[in-house]
Amino acid sequence: MRRFFRPAPLVALAILAWLLGVLLVGSGYEQRLMAVAAAYALMAIGYHLVFGQAGALSLAQGACFAIGAYAAGILGGRMGWPLWAEFPAAILLPAVLAAVAHRPVRRLGGHYFALATLGFAVLVRLVAVDAQDLTGGANGLVGVPPLPVAVLGLARGPGMMLIGWGLAGLGAALAVWLTRGNGPALALVRADPGLARASGLDPERIRAQGFVWAAGFAGAGGALYAHVLGLVSPDTAEFSVMIGCLAMVVIGGRHSIAGAVLGALLIGHLPEWLRPLGASYRIAYGLGLFACLLVAPAGLIGSLERFRPARSYAVAPEPLPRVDVPRSALRITAARKAYGGLAVLHDVSLDIRPGEILGLIGPNGSGKTTLINGISGLDRLNQGTIMLGDARLDGLSPDRVALAGVARSFQSVAVDDGLAPLELVTAALTAKGGRAGFGRTPAIEALRQRAAGLLRRVGIGDPAATDSGTLRLADIARALALDPAVLLLDEPAAGLDAAERDRLAALLCTLAAEGRALLVVEHDMVFLMGLADRVAVLLDGRIALVGTAAEVRADPAVRAAYLGPAPC
Amino acid sequence: MPADGLGPELLTLAQLLLNGLALGAAYALVALGFVLVLNATGAVNFAQGDMVMLGGYAAVALGHLLPGAGLLLLPLVMLAMAVFGLLFSALAWRPFRHRPPIFGLLATVALGLTLQEAMNALEGAAPQAGPAFVGTGEIRLGPLGLPRAALGIVIACLVLGLAQGWLLGRTQFGRRLRASAQDPVTARALGLPVDRLIAASFALATALAGAVGLLLSGPYFVTPTAGNDLILRAYIAATIGGWGSLKGAVAGALMIALFESVVAGYASSVVATASLYGAVLLLLAVRPAGLFPAPLGRRA
Repeated sequence: MRRFFRPAPLVALAILAWLLGVLLVGSGYEQRLMAVAAAYALMAIGYHLVFGQAGALSLAQGACFAIGAYAAGILGGRMGWPLWAEFPAAILLPAVLAAVAHRPVRRLGGHYFALATLGFAVLVRLVAVDAQDLTGGANGLVGVPPLPVAVLGLARGPGMMLIGWGLAGLGAALAVWLTRGNGPALALVRADPGLARASGLDPERIRAQGFVWAAGFAGAGGALYAHVLGLVSPDTAEFSVMIGCLAMVVIGGRHSIAGAVLGALLIGHLPEWLRPLGASYRIAYGLGLFACLLVAPAGLIGSLERFRPARSYAVAPEPLPRVDVPRSALRITAARKAYGGLAVLHDVSLDIRPGEILGLIGPNGSGKTTLINGISGLDRLNQGTIMLGDARLDGLSPDRVALAGVARSFQSVAVDDGLAPLELVTAALTAKGGRAGFGRTPAIEALRQRAAGLLRRVGIGDPAATDSGTLRLADIARALALDPAVLLLDEPAAGLDAAERDRLAALLCTLAAEGRALLVVEHDMVFLMGLADRVAVLLDGRIALVGTAAEVRADPAVRAAYLGPAPC
Repeated sequence: MPADGLGPELLTLAQLLLNGLALGAAYALVALGFVLVLNATGAVNFAQGDMVMLGGYAAVALGHLLPGAGLLLLPLVMLAMAVFGLLFSALAWRPFRHRPPIFGLLATVALGLTLQEAMNALEGAAPQAGPAFVGTGEIRLGPLGLPRAALGIVIACLVLGLAQGWLLGRTQFGRRLRASAQDPVTARALGLPVDRLIAASFALATALAGAVGLLLSGPYFVTPTAGNDLILRAYIAATIGGWGSLKGAVAGALMIALFESVVAGYASSVVATASLYGAVLLLLAVRPAGLFPAPLGRRA
């Protein structure tokens, strides 16, 4: 069933049929309209990479389209460059500008990225309208040479359409190659950049890649647009182009290439279909976009996807590969962390040896989570060193720490967008295989199989479940997917029932027996004291004691901290 | 040189600063509404500028309907826009409140575009002049000619800004509004009608935008796309002021407007806009949390 109902190929077939129909029996006008839609399709495919896949709300895609169009108009029209030189330049120019503009704001996500890209778009529009010598100002540029249809022995209409959709087809193929097998990793980057980072992914780099690729696609679309129309008007740089692009991708389905193409075809034909409305056809953009957000938030393709039954992965528990290299100890020396004037960690030194479970206890606010954040790179320590074997970890970004062999779980796991445990673990496995990102094609089905095995190993039978207990265990499976030498677990037993807790304890013992070093922060003393080889006590940001469970139980300072000072 | 010793350069600068102050005051009210909704819903309201545009057209219509209404126009426009704000929140926020904030943002983009195109279809793209709210011409103050319109904007915005500060800071309604913005879950648990308070935030923000629409429609005219520049400046003001900070947004708005007025006065408006965005990109690079970062633990 699943094999026969895959929406994207079906929609792609329908689009091909539509194109073929217009090519064979359409009028010259309809074919020209289709060639314009191909230019939009290139822009939308690119936008799907940065917005739909990398999850960054760029508002510069329309501006990059304009840069491509003006590059074609200036280089090809005014300066007479041949097509083979001018077209690649029109792709490269916005991509290079995007890479340069992205540099200073690469660390910013969300609204800041949106504003920065909007600022970029405003600057481009200013140049288009006001730099008259370069861009022709309000008159725009005329005399952009037509596409070389005669060379190919074609009539004008079908020729433009074939070249346009040939380029769009190439673009779609490139986008397929860029995204193939990266679905889970990109979904995690979109849903939770922090969690992605802890899983060895680099959201900044992936966003930057998406932004630059998107700019290149937009440049190609803009150049094609200029050649089809034979002119460049400053309207190309207006913000409405950007909103049209947003509407294409959201209405078609923002996570899908076929969706972007479908959206470009629909929006591209809207002025024609709504001709009675005249210039007000854009009301339909607005209302269509709104209606789509309301009833089909995943877009047309996304709505079809829902009818596709999920694939089941019935597998045996994954026996993790026994690694031959000796696992290394984690050594924390004189770690210090302060927020403003408030010191949370003072000179914390701690060794975690391979094969041991080290419990970390302490009252609320004693700095346990801060210590884990400091080790995993989420918070930068003010002082101190962290060594894993001979490798120095302090100062590394969380994704590098995770890939270096120190993985962590989180106290609370809430992933937006309903990312299923299977995809979560698959994303971490993708990262483990090398620097994940656009254009790296992991063998995704094999990784999914391994992910299902890892989930089974932590005790999850249904890899699609999203209840809180399952998510917590899935987060541990995600950390395990990195095959870590050191595993930092932040309250792993909280919220689990007795049976799940027993299974977790057994799992942690096996992991230690494999030679991994485990640091377990836990409030459930029964759970922890039975499990830990040694227990470290953190009081007010200082290690008060490291010892066996019995020693810790007997220590007066620990008793005082937990039970209050003795009355006499 | 005039008798009192003010040089012509200084006079020009004073005029530029007054114009900048008037624009800045208007930007500040727009930015205040933007941040109010941002704090209440966690989502960017991209249609806040279009609310100003709509307020401008409401002012034009009411001005024709009630000639000579003068100052009375302000509460009328604000009331009409507050009602529209309630309607807007029912469309742009309520259906999307359980989804990631990006949906709210996209919904406001879609509705803002619809509003622009609807006004374009109804009224055409040609600029229309709003009612002269406080009259035209200048008030002479020694060598200085102070445009009445600019003074009116500054004073009206000051009054509205103070009123809003009083409403948020000193009334039970304001306390509830802030409580529900800070922590909706707890506020709901305490029995506060969070959904209604969010709708009220939209109403308040839209009323402020409507007031700005009235104030700007006289001296600067109103077009269907007039909101685009305003939302950009509100966005920038909120960003450089520290995302989510009301006072920061006001300070940011004033800085933007003074910067633009002075640069536009001595160079050109193109240079002003270009250098403004250049400065913002630079600022985002060096101080991503804005010039006045919000205290630790504030919601982003």
